[in-house]
Amino acid sequence: MIPRVPASVDQDKIISVHGLKFVYDGGVQALAGLNLDVRRGDYLAIVGGNGSGKTTLAKNLNGLLRPTSGSVIINGTSTSELTVAELAKVIGYAFQNPDHQLFCSSVVEEVRFGPLNLGYSEAEVAKKTELSIEAMDLSAVKDQPPFSLTLGERRRVSIASVMAMDPQVFILDEPTTGLDARETDDLMDSIDRLNLDGHTVVLITHDMKLVAKHAKRVVVMSEGRIVLDSDPGGVFTDLELLLRSKLVPPPVSQLAHRLSSLGVPREVLSPEELVFHLMSGRGARR
Amino acid sequence: MTGFIDLYTEASTFLHRMDPRVKIVAVATLSLLALITSHLVYLLVLAAVMVVLILFGRASYKKTMLAFSYVFRVMALIVVLWPLFDPRGTPVLFGFGPIRITEPGILAGIATAARIFCLAAAWYLLMFTTSQRDLVRGLVKMGLRFDFGLSLAMSLRFLPTFSAIVESIKDAQRARGLELDKGNLRKRARDYVAVLVPTVITALKMADTLSLALQSRAYGARTDRTYMRELKMRAGDYVALLIAVAVFAIPATAKYIFSIPL
Repeated sequence: MIPRVPASVDQDKIISVHGLKFVYDGGVQALAGLNLDVRRGDYLAIVGGNGSGKTTLAKNLNGLLRPTSGSVIINGTSTSELTVAELAKVIGYAFQNPDHQLFCSSVVEEVRFGPLNLGYSEAEVAKKTELSIEAMDLSAVKDQPPFSLTLGERRRVSIASVMAMDPQVFILDEPTTGLDARETDDLMDSIDRLNLDGHTVVLITHDMKLVAKHAKRVVVMSEGRIVLDSDPGGVFTDLELLLRSKLVPPPVSQLAHRLSSLGVPREVLSPEELVFHLMSGRGARR
Repeated sequence: MTGFIDLYTEASTFLHRMDPRVKIVAVATLSLLALITSHLVYLLVLAAVMVVLILFGRASYKKTMLAFSYVFRVMALIVVLWPLFDPRGTPVLFGFGPIRITEPGILAGIATAARIFCLAAAWYLLMFTTSQRDLVRGLVKMGLRFDFGLSLAMSLRFLPTFSAIVESIKDAQRARGLELDKGNLRKRARDYVAVLVPTVITALKMADTLSLALQSRAYGARTDRTYMRELKMRAGDYVALLIAVAVFAIPATAKYIFSIPL
């Protein structure tokens, strides 16, 4: 049974998941009934150990997988009524391994592929392609074959190729795996910009430092369930729950925990904040 | 999403314990036997023997049905189509214009279907009672160059991994609005380029990494190889080998030297 959308649809709600269960063909239950609402403009990080169901959830959001039971409502329409291509116009999904999608002989062609599939006119395709290539800082390499680029650049190409389809939501699956600190910072800057421009960003990651620095909201998954849904500061104060979910808070939060007797609040998320509290709090008084 | 299935079914029957070399020989002789006889009764007897052997091997029902689902379809097609195109002989059971359905035509159709079954069953017997490792071990002992055997073993080992990668690539392209299996043949062929190119490139990268991994573990440092597990023929294996050769050699002699029709 598909729950009908109530008459008064919350216009801000772009993704709405109700009682979502998903069981793979082999009988493995990956999602054990979860609820999640994502609002327009959210910057959401989905974190959890391997096998906690992060990617399965993401694939249910863009229709690559369909709920075994429960529902996924995108912009007021259930995914069961939409094709993957139709959903791609709203939900952009950059896969973990960029090499699983790159196949064209130049970056430009690669980025054009998505909007062409969606049936945009030549002029629109050209415009979207150019904008995406610029936004992802790929102008210098736009005529090169994607496979000749570095991993960081290939990730950007894969995100640009999603961006060119002009989705409202970006789901990015482990976008920084295998990147060095500089590449990570550059990529995250571009992703932050996407969010500032009003796009909804869903970041799937293991990297808690990344979460502390960039996300506005964190969803912790464990064994196919959402065990915590809060702002980053709130999530990292619950050490026990994090450990049970096979996660370790970022070093700065761990330090804040140990320094809590000095009056440092546990929600500290950046070294700057930590220093600030140490200097101004009881810590400075000895 | 079907993916690749390994036919090997774990069990400890005499077929599983048999030396892989004997089984490889037996597949060859049984296949040849099915090819040199065209007599319906002999083929049906052979098919029955195959079924009994499959049962002795404790094959899993699910895997067997999966493996034979295509074979059964081909057999059904042969039984239906053969009589239509083979108008020889009498009695004619049904005649209309150029179509002549004869009794020998129908019987020949059934015989050919039985032969297809025997060929498939012979290979299935080998595949479901022999692990990939043993199969390659047997082939290498029979004179296959070791590096060819290793390549074969590795390709078999990577088939499931590979089918998972292909699925993931398909998903990635579908998320970019590609609608596979939609449109005419030309569009579909073009669409599959988007799946094929990343697949080939990923495969080449994987092969590269694998060869480095092999080299870093000193593969090929010694020319005189030693083996962790040596195959050894036991008394039962010799008996089985004798039977396997005899079931082909005796009818073949009868047919080609004494001209007894089979």
